[in-house]
Amino acid sequence: MLRMENVSKIYRTDLVETHALRKVDLHIKSGEFVSVTGPSGSGKTTFLNLAGALETFEEGDYFLDGHNVKGLSDDKLSEIRNQKIGFIFQSFNLLPDLPLFDNVDVPLRYRGMSAKERKERIEHALETVGLASRMQHLPTQLSGGQQQRVAIARAIAGDPLFLLADEPTGNLDSLMAQQVMELLEDINSKGTTIIMVTHDDQLARRAHRNIQIFDGQVSDIEKSVADDVIRSA
Amino acid sequence: MFSYNFHLALKSLKERPALTLLTILAIATGLGLYTTVKTMSYQSGQVPLAHKSKNVFLLQMDNREVTADAVEHQARMVDTTYKDTLNLMQMEMPGVKQTFNWSTYGILNVEDENINPLRTFAAVTNSAFFTMFEPPFLHGNGWDKATEESGEAVIVISKLMNDKLFGGRNSVGESVRINTHVLKIIGVLDTWHLTHKFYDRSFSRARPDNFFIPYSFAMQNGLPRRAGFDCWAANADIARSFRTENTERLINSECAWVTFWAEVPEEKFADYRQQIISYMESERALGRFPRELVMYLTNLNDQLAYVHGRNQFLNTFSVLATLFFAVCLLNAVGILLAKFMRRKKEVSLRRALGAKKKTIIMQHLLEVIIIGFLGGVLGIVISYFGLQGMMSIRLYSSDYTVRVEDVLPYFQLNWTMIGHAFLTGIICTIVASIYPIWRLCNVPPASQLKSQ
Ligand SMILES: Nc1ncnc2c1ncn2[C@@H]1O[C@H](COP(=O)(O)OP(=O)(O)O)[C@@H](O)[C@H]1O
Ligand SMILES: [Mg+2]
Repeated sequence: MLRMENVSKIYRTDLVETHALRKVDLHIKSGEFVSVTGPSGSGKTTFLNLAGALETFEEGDYFLDGHNVKGLSDDKLSEIRNQKIGFIFQSFNLLPDLPLFDNVDVPLRYRGMSAKERKERIEHALETVGLASRMQHLPTQLSGGQQQRVAIARAIAGDPLFLLADEPTGNLDSLMAQQVMELLEDINSKGTTIIMVTHDDQLARRAHRNIQIFDGQVSDIEKSVADDVIRSA
Repeated sequence: MFSYNFHLALKSLKERPALTLLTILAIATGLGLYTTVKTMSYQSGQVPLAHKSKNVFLLQMDNREVTADAVEHQARMVDTTYKDTLNLMQMEMPGVKQTFNWSTYGILNVEDENINPLRTFAAVTNSAFFTMFEPPFLHGNGWDKATEESGEAVIVISKLMNDKLFGGRNSVGESVRINTHVLKIIGVLDTWHLTHKFYDRSFSRARPDNFFIPYSFAMQNGLPRRAGFDCWAANADIARSFRTENTERLINSECAWVTFWAEVPEEKFADYRQQIISYMESERALGRFPRELVMYLTNLNDQLAYVHGRNQFLNTFSVLATLFFAVCLLNAVGILLAKFMRRKKEVSLRRALGAKKKTIIMQHLLEVIIIGFLGGVLGIVISYFGLQGMMSIRLYSSDYTVRVEDVLPYFQLNWTMIGHAFLTGIICTIVASIYPIWRLCNVPPASQLKSQ
């Protein structure tokens, strides 16, 4: 469902070239829950950004749902993000002056759905994350964990092919992190593919599969092996 | 999508009301002043008799001595002598109308003893004046050629005078006295809206005359010719003493004191012109027109363009107002840029969640169009007061000798100007927003979402 072949990403500034990703070969199947770990600055976010069609790359091919993403127009990439991908960020990134309902509504609006369908999906998504009763609240009236759950509702409302989560628990205390993780596992168990960057080994270990990135290079380790690697690290 | 973008645009306007207001004010003040000037310029550029202005010509023939100064086209150029006027009036050319006029003055009296005698000016002209220049009649008519030839004492008066002297009733058939002469009223004009009093070639904003008298009567009774005129050669002295001169002496003099007009259809123009030149040549054989045969037939459009183009005040003011508008727009660019750049984070999120560039552009364009719309409305309101102010200055600078009704048309907004201001406001605001919007829509998706 998601296949990267020989993908490289170089950030160029006037002074330096940063090889953020080097020749990544990777295949993620439908329904997987993949954790991505690695030291800070190793290229995890860059990997997610490429997977999420947020950034373009120069080398290699990236097949998403069977279609090569490389060289697509900006409009086409926007469509892919809108229809196939759900994003969850470390700092939630809710729009502070919009009620929860309207926050979850944002990606659906850009999909041009009817008002009725949007309403159904928003309500269902907020129900899934346990915040159906707070639809008209503003994000600032919620705790961090709740805010992240709203972000998850926003990500799943459009029934994406997969969720990309960049340190979704990074700003949360451990209890809230637990709840968010359980929610993600729950969503995954209903069939949604999830790729999650995390610093937390505990959480990483709960995924089916762990991908490690060191200095832009990806090593893909099946779960059983991953456990050993993490334990021994 | 449109309704969503519109909703977002409205929300964003309300989000930072002070910035929004500042942008609207910047555009409105610039546009207000700009529209004030444009309206004054537009109104004073309106041609009188627009439906036939290109066919109505002022005739100027240079009949001066060889040593006279060269004339620039249109500048204080010679009028026509009385004898040339009479000679030209003899020319018959179907489809061509000719009229001429000058100004006289006298003491006017009516039978009603409650009305004090008043010193007044009057236009002296021929019957064609009314058919060529089409003043609207309230009662009666102008005089015809036969009446004119008999030298009958008739007069056409303005609505203003009819109101003042006769309380507004139909005064046709009654009479007025000018000095010792009794003249019968045969016509009362309605208010005659001329954008310029062109027929005396002053192109002033003065109201048209209040009295119109046949030239035959004026000449037979020696009514004086008002205001200065040029005389040359042997008659040079007349110019200095014309007020006391009896008109006898003016009749055959080389003094140019008649303003001569012709209405010539396009297809007759070349013939008419040739006829004038032939006339000048035949007079030259008799020892007149000693200089090169300089002759101008200038239509109303060209005359007005000339007068208008020389309006230093409007020209300077136009440049200043345009510059000021440009400065205001630059200011708006700055405010919009500041306002939009604050929204980088939100835009990068919306882009990540699937908004296309063009959707972001549309959202902000709508916001800007609303700003332009409000700026336009406020700008028009400002220009209304601006025009009122300019009119007050005009009234003041004339020591209140002109009346509001006379100058109002020059300071009046009309739908054309309102539409023009509106479009200008919206288009300029959009232009001002191109750079800020371009910056904003090029914010990479998710680039601003790095964790804190
Ligand atoms: N927009 C960018 N321009 C230049 N260099 C960048 C940019 N984004 C990331 N990098 C560099 O690429 C490398 C990988 O960054 P990132 O993917 O954010 O790492 P991680 O998420 O694993 O901490 C780092 O060296 C970082 O400095
Ligand atoms: Mg990162």
